[in-house]
Amino acid sequence: MDREKIKYTDEELIKRFQQGDERAYIELVKRYKDRLLNFVYRYLNSFEQSEDVVQDTLMKLYTSAHMYREIAKFSTWIFTIAANLAKSELRRLKRRRVISIHSMGFDDKEYEIPSESYDPAKETTSNYGEKQIQQAIDTLPDQFKTVIILREVQQLSYEEISQILGISIGTVKSRINRGRLRLQKMLKELKEQ
Amino acid sequence: MDCYSFDRIISDYIDANLNVKQRQEANEHMSVCPRCREKLMDLEGILTELSSLPKCQTRSDFESRLMDRIAHSKEQKERRFIQVFQDYSRPISVVAAIMLLVATSIFVYTSVVIPNSPDSIPSAEIRSIEVNRPMPAPVAATAVQPALVSTNSESVIPDSNKVESPSYNNQIMIVNENK
Repeated sequence: MDREKIKYTDEELIKRFQQGDERAYIELVKRYKDRLLNFVYRYLNSFEQSEDVVQDTLMKLYTSAHMYREIAKFSTWIFTIAANLAKSELRRLKRRRVISIHSMGFDDKEYEIPSESYDPAKETTSNYGEKQIQQAIDTLPDQFKTVIILREVQQLSYEEISQILGISIGTVKSRINRGRLRLQKMLKELKEQ
Repeated sequence: MDCYSFDRIISDYIDANLNVKQRQEANEHMSVCPRCREKLMDLEGILTELSSLPKCQTRSDFESRLMDRIAHSKEQKERRFIQVFQDYSRPISVVAAIMLLVATSIFVYTSVVIPNSPDSIPSAEIRSIEVNRPMPAPVAATAVQPALVSTNSESVIPDSNKVESPSYNNQIMIVNENK
């Protein structure tokens, strides 16, 4: 049974799902849940919220599978959905952080910093470098952050990134170059602190 | 090549996207510029670290939670449909009853009232009016027309070779008799 499943490409699986085969959907979920989580997690830097975004992405896959056309690779399509949802979530989180800071009065002597969500990276590794790298990624402007994660963490090609973000390959190259240099600069500053 | 130009092609250098000439120029520049050489090495190290960042995994109940959400959303959709139907059931039934009533009355009117009405039988008066209208000149005489107007018992077999001109006088007379 498993051998049979491995034979199918992502595009074949989504086609089968479009024809009503729910097992194909489950197979796609198994293939993509962790890949998507890694991408969204590096983008949001919060495990729980990232898992929620991945759930939303896969829900969207379930409800909007008919929207997929075979002109694009399935991975490109699903990453596009995840990237858009992650962007919206990041915007929402930023807004919430700003609101919560504003809502704190000057008279508030005590306040509780919300405990950070479950972070597997913290549990699995104590590598200081990783923390610094994640910090540097967080400081990158959105346009550089997305391309850097897609390229360096997800190891996607320039062409795939260009399709996901709907920008030219030239722009992707330029953003990757500038993003890498910014990241390097940021890490240097963090090391010096 | 200067340091500024090197910064612009550093990614292409790492990704091996430069042609032989550009690569050679970059190498020549690095051989004389320790800053750019260090920068390249440092950046390569960062990228290696980035690609080997620990991978996170979804929690073990991720799939079951997802399936629950899907089932829940399906249920909600169905419930919403039922709710809409319940909310609008009274107006829907009133509209349906009115439409049924209108359809029934149209049916009754067309199938029972109209065929039995006296207007449906053509009267002699109308026919006489039609007779009084000026008759258009016959375009071509046909052999069938005399047969149609023959009310006498004797039947006339039309001669196909003989062209007869229609007699309208007969028609006028018949109508007058009916009157």
